[in-house]
Amino acid sequence: MERTAGGTGGLGKFAKQAYWGCTLARESGRKVVDDIFLEAPPAPKRGARFFVFLGLFLLLLFWSFQGAKVRPGELIQGIPQIASTLGRMLPPDFSKMTDAKSYYFPENLSLTALLLPVPLSESQARSKQRWWNNTFPQTILGATLETVQMALAGTFLALFVAFPLGFLAARNTTPHPLVYHALRTVLNFLRTIPDLALGLVFVSAVGLGAFAGTLALAIHTATVLGKLLSESVENIDEGIVEAIRATGAGYAQILSFAVLPQILPDLISFTLYRLETNIRAASVLGLIGAGGIGYLMSTSFRTFQYQEAAAIVIVLIALVMLVDSLSSRLRNLVV
Amino acid sequence: MTILEIQGLHKSYGNHTEVLRGINLQIEQGEFVGIIGPSGAGKSTLLRCINRLIDPSSGAIMIPRALAGLGADGAKADVLSLGAHELRLLRRKVGMVFQQFNIVKRLSVIENVLSGGLGYRPGLRSMLRIFSREEKRQALTNLKRVGLLDHAYKRADQLSGGEQQRVAIARTLMQEPAIILADEPVSSLDPKLSRVVLDILKRVCREDGITALVSLHTLELTREYADRVIGLRQGQVFFDGPTPNLTDAIVDSVYHRRD
Repeated sequence: MERTAGGTGGLGKFAKQAYWGCTLARESGRKVVDDIFLEAPPAPKRGARFFVFLGLFLLLLFWSFQGAKVRPGELIQGIPQIASTLGRMLPPDFSKMTDAKSYYFPENLSLTALLLPVPLSESQARSKQRWWNNTFPQTILGATLETVQMALAGTFLALFVAFPLGFLAARNTTPHPLVYHALRTVLNFLRTIPDLALGLVFVSAVGLGAFAGTLALAIHTATVLGKLLSESVENIDEGIVEAIRATGAGYAQILSFAVLPQILPDLISFTLYRLETNIRAASVLGLIGAGGIGYLMSTSFRTFQYQEAAAIVIVLIALVMLVDSLSSRLRNLVV
Repeated sequence: MTILEIQGLHKSYGNHTEVLRGINLQIEQGEFVGIIGPSGAGKSTLLRCINRLIDPSSGAIMIPRALAGLGADGAKADVLSLGAHELRLLRRKVGMVFQQFNIVKRLSVIENVLSGGLGYRPGLRSMLRIFSREEKRQALTNLKRVGLLDHAYKRADQLSGGEQQRVAIARTLMQEPAIILADEPVSSLDPKLSRVVLDILKRVCREDGITALVSLHTLELTREYADRVIGLRQGQVFFDGPTPNLTDAIVDSVYHRRD
């Protein structure tokens, strides 16, 4: 027991461990357990510092709960209120699925002319465009499709920007350290802007509608994907880069043969993940008039059309679940 | 003909750790040279200085200018003073084989072999991994030489360690190299596979007249394969001579450490 006694301050814990070791050894009739503890170097002491951190962490938690005004009592009192709101949402009203207040089916167009790219006269083309741009997005179906389109277009645009950014903003593939630092700073700054704020900026720039929302999604996603990809590039096996460099390959060839194959699984799964996130984000952007199903939902709630709102929420849930399962299937297929 | 002449080569990191401390070597064309020495003796650093994957601190590495395609007048060039473009031309002619194989596991075997020819084919086509029929024929021929023709279209990570190293050798052959630098090529393989890989390496070097510098981790393999042995100790050449001259006493002092 000399080592224990000689330890500084940590006597309590280690002595206890050794003590239990002795008891165990006596009970099992073997001295081995005891001996190995004495032979081994003293175990690292967790001791006082651990409890200080634990205490600070608990204080932080308490402070957060207070600031967030977490009061379970009010929640319990509010349960009947929740129930009555939910009750008013039943049964969901799906009538707006393909119908809108100012809905009309363009009389001068056949269904095929409306859906397929066929040659049209000027007036036909105009009413077709009006139907797609103004009428159809007011239906739940139309707004849902618009949401999906916004998410797809936004993610694709983002990937287009983020793909080169990933290489330029990674320490090991950047052409110059200055490029690396500059891009990292810009990306970090832009990423702190919420997509709702970006949406407001673009609504004022390009007007209400899906384009503003798509731009907001694209910018925000580009910064997130750029950062994720650059980190993925930094984690690659440098040995392969060395091997390709040793063949006399140039910069672009090294990226194509040594780096890209290694980050490809990350590239695909990050992009699909952001696509899922963007479906949700696109449905919120409607609140500020930047297109998508969120606009219909907020209108329904504000006009107390709870049954209609319920239908929208259900469609939204189905959409998100569908995209989740599709993208996970796609991921398994390619990764 | 002397293909490589290393003069007073130093490499240090920062002010303190000096990995290479004045290496002088002369390598003749077609030699199969084994490099031995304890860990940290500078074997990997020496090999990487030759194709400048590591930049030496001082010294000279003289090669025939013709080797890097810089003229055929028999004049010499110093690897240390080559520009970026000339360096790439040199690297094409210097193949490298690594302990960890360093093949791209997610690409197919043939794509890995084709990547050896990148130095000859700059441009967009190779970047997009598009290769001509002639290039593919050459890759398949090289795969056949290492006995892996049947595996050409498999993904590289489906192959065993020994097979992956053979793919790496085939990749190197695509470079039509004059020199192969092999950094502990069989350290992560068992003795039986080690011999398979070294047999292939030695055979292709002899067939193509390639000069090989191979660092090895066991004396047994060194005595079996090397024509000439260089013993490194603490960044200096401690022994340099034909393999039969490598006595047990010399081996003892190569691995004797003064720490």
